[in-house]
Amino acid sequence: MRWSRIAPQLALTPALAVTAVAFIGSIGWTIYLSFTRSRRLPEYGIDWSEWGRQYDRLFRDAGWEISLRNLIVLGLGSALAIVFGFVLAAMIDKEKRGESLFRTVFLYPLAVSLIVTGAAWRWILNPTLGAQSFLRGLGWHVDFNWLAQGDTAMYAIILASVWQSAGFYMALMLAGLKGINSEIWSAAKLDGVPLWRVYLEIIIPMMKFTFITCAILLSLGVIKAYDVVVAMTNGGPGQSTWVPAYFTINALSAKSNLGYASAAAVMMLAITFVVFIPLVALTVWQQRKREAS
Amino acid sequence: MSQVSISERAAASGEMPVARSPYFVRKKKGITPRTVAILAFLTICALFFCVPLYVVVVTSFKTMDQIREGAIFSLPHIWTLEAWDHAWNRACSGIKCDGLKVGFWNSVFILFPSLILSISLAMVTGFALALWNVRWAGAFLFLLFICAFVPFQIIMYPLIVMTTTTKIYGTLWAVAVIHAVLAMPVLTLIFRNYYKDIPTEIMSAAMMDSGSFWRIFFEIIVPMSGNILIVVLILQITSIWNDYLIGVTFGGLTGQPMTVNLANLITISTGTTNYAHNMAAALLTAIPPLVVYFLVGKLFVQGVTAGAIKG
Repeated sequence: MRWSRIAPQLALTPALAVTAVAFIGSIGWTIYLSFTRSRRLPEYGIDWSEWGRQYDRLFRDAGWEISLRNLIVLGLGSALAIVFGFVLAAMIDKEKRGESLFRTVFLYPLAVSLIVTGAAWRWILNPTLGAQSFLRGLGWHVDFNWLAQGDTAMYAIILASVWQSAGFYMALMLAGLKGINSEIWSAAKLDGVPLWRVYLEIIIPMMKFTFITCAILLSLGVIKAYDVVVAMTNGGPGQSTWVPAYFTINALSAKSNLGYASAAAVMMLAITFVVFIPLVALTVWQQRKREAS
Repeated sequence: MSQVSISERAAASGEMPVARSPYFVRKKKGITPRTVAILAFLTICALFFCVPLYVVVVTSFKTMDQIREGAIFSLPHIWTLEAWDHAWNRACSGIKCDGLKVGFWNSVFILFPSLILSISLAMVTGFALALWNVRWAGAFLFLLFICAFVPFQIIMYPLIVMTTTTKIYGTLWAVAVIHAVLAMPVLTLIFRNYYKDIPTEIMSAAMMDSGSFWRIFFEIIVPMSGNILIVVLILQITSIWNDYLIGVTFGGLTGQPMTVNLANLITISTGTTNYAHNMAAALLTAIPPLVVYFLVGKLFVQGVTAGAIKG
């Protein structure tokens, strides 16, 4: 009998150790380092007269400002994937023909690495040999040279990430749509409500939960966005496509500035919590409400 | 009259008009203008989604001469496997030019230990948290939930130090172990949610029978885990194979997975880029997860949805 109480506790020790060391301990370690003067190697003394120096520098760094701005641009741009995903899901759900074929096609990009995605789009967006030259050959004067220009390179990254993730949001939305009671459709039809109003005023509000889930996943993906930036532009041209994830790793590896990288990582964590706590709280609240009803 | 016919039809079909009768009661009339419009739109979107795959595939079979003509969407004049051969055997990643095969095998040797490690750890933990009355289980689950959200950058440096002191930094083991560590919170939550639905009767019967934690685990829980195991396997295979950041951070020079080789290939270009080589390399990297996807498409959705917070 006593064994039965000890065994589960013993079985939990590896997971507990991993959580304590690799997560909690490491987070504390990085936060501590962000207050030190550590450069290439860690220094564990904190100079209390200027403990916030790394953060001071960070907030004055033009690269960090660009990163934050790009984070917002990327967030807004990637949100198109949710919109697009919903439109696709609504159409597939309405018109059952070819459902599985369309689902398969829209979702396959998700199976592919973002490095591969980047490689493919980089090639398509190649100004001299890619889609631009092809379309110009057809007589359309289009400008697709997004990657080489600082003010448009972010659009290329957005295009690649929307292409990669739209199918995923479509799958989530499709599941949400299937959960909606079909009587609502019949009732709306009897009342002669136009279809777009049914979506806007009934279906979308009913799918609040799905939309919040999508928003959480999207913002997580945006904050973590790194691979796609490396594969598409490697941060360039100049610093124009830096994002916080890229900034942090660049500070650690290219600049080998540990204290600075730690401060940037702490800011990333802060951004994550600022975005998530409300969204997660909202989800929990919705779930409670749903269970209560 | 109509009343009768409706109830008759319901009786005949053996079901009352319940839940999932579709909105347009599947008018057998056939194709309306709206149907055509929707299908046309979906087809255009589907073509857009297929363009990159098409371009990558055709480019990988082209000769560089043809690529220089600039017709990116055209089919190869001469189908050649030269680019595939080059990408697999001779492509340069960094200073070495041994092709992607090195990275491919690295990825394979990272994948298997990492799968075993992460899944076994998460299964046991999920089981203990779901079915044994551990007093602090709730608090621990909350902690795991938080950990699942944490961006990798905040724990990156301490993990580098830890792998360096344990002398595994720069090896395949470091990459495999770090994957397992990072996946632990999410996988544990998945298993725990699955196991908590196991009826208490089964557990109490098993407790009466032997009561041993490990016997119950191996004789009852593991055999019951088939479905969730497949879902988790899909999730882990795709996320480990497709990962770049962990591989580049912990792989050093010898433990780099395939994605890192590919990234070196496409970002570090000296002289003229040979797009046929790059696209063949991209395709080689993409094939394993695509095969998984096309084999188990429906379960794939469950897999990525279940672990979506892993991002």
